[in-house]
Amino acid sequence: MKQSDHGAYVRKVQEGAQSFAHDLLGEIERLQVLVATLEAEIRAETRAYSSRYAEIELQNSNLANLYVASYRLHGTLDRQEVIDTIKEIIANLVGSEEAGLFELDPGKQSLELVASFGISPEACSSVPLGSGLIGRAAQTGEIYVADPGRPPAGAGLEGRLTACIPLSLDGRVTGAIAIFRLLPQKAGIEDLDRELFGLLATHAATALYCTTLHQRLAVA
Amino acid sequence: MSKKKVLVVDDSPTAMFMVTMILKREPYELVKAHDGQEAVEVAVLERPDLILMDVVMPRKTGFEACRELKQREDTKSIPVILVTTRGEGENVEAGFESGCNDYVTKPINAQELLAKVRDHIAG
Repeated sequence: MKQSDHGAYVRKVQEGAQSFAHDLLGEIERLQVLVATLEAEIRAETRAYSSRYAEIELQNSNLANLYVASYRLHGTLDRQEVIDTIKEIIANLVGSEEAGLFELDPGKQSLELVASFGISPEACSSVPLGSGLIGRAAQTGEIYVADPGRPPAGAGLEGRLTACIPLSLDGRVTGAIAIFRLLPQKAGIEDLDRELFGLLATHAATALYCTTLHQRLAVA
Repeated sequence: MSKKKVLVVDDSPTAMFMVTMILKREPYELVKAHDGQEAVEVAVLERPDLILMDVVMPRKTGFEACRELKQREDTKSIPVILVTTRGEGENVEAGFESGCNDYVTKPINAQELLAKVRDHIAG
């Protein structure tokens, strides 16, 4: 091979090698971008999965709470046990240390306190229907939840009323549950609490009605 | 491998049912007691891997039962998680003074409870 031919050959090889190296670098860059994109996608998917998992766990816990409340309310024919269960649901599932359970006396048109904890029973032993926050909630049949951003709407004991759940059966109000102060670590009423209130509104009323009826029949 | 044994102590059937439902999701064997006195007796007999105990109970409170369990040679190494109504300093302090290893506050958060139980059972 002539020297000029050899030089041309070397240049050609060099050019080929440069072109190959250039292509290779381009491919490496493309693959690096691909890997980064895939990593970002995996991270996003992992985050979405974790968030969905936490959401399902929360739903699972919430359903467990509702199941426990319903199961306990309807698991007995003993009226006192139903009353105790209502108190336990308020204390353990809602997280309150002050509550009262009222039943409607249709003759007197008033709510009579049948059980309480954390409050002085004398402070609200009888509430006229339509009077104050508790009486009004029972009269309208609408669940009352205090707005934490506003000053207390009630006076006296009602000044620390957090929620009032009218108990209703067959479209008629039969009583009410008044929840006063929540536990200090409980920030406020949450979605699950509202669902529990809805459950208590009908299931507690039914359970109280059934067990009272059973008690009367047993006595008769 | 044998299941880890958890002793759940609460006088409230509703709270007991709730905690049992949460812990049932894990491979634990659950044993129960309904007050502090019974908790000590069951713990001595069953030697659980962890005790989850309410504070306010008849006969013997959670604090008293915890103190007794931590004084006994045969039960002092069992981790105790107390379930307190109040998460404030004074109450928590009383819990740790009784020798408890950890605490959860009411209303019980299932995820928090499971995380603490797993943590203490793993040692």
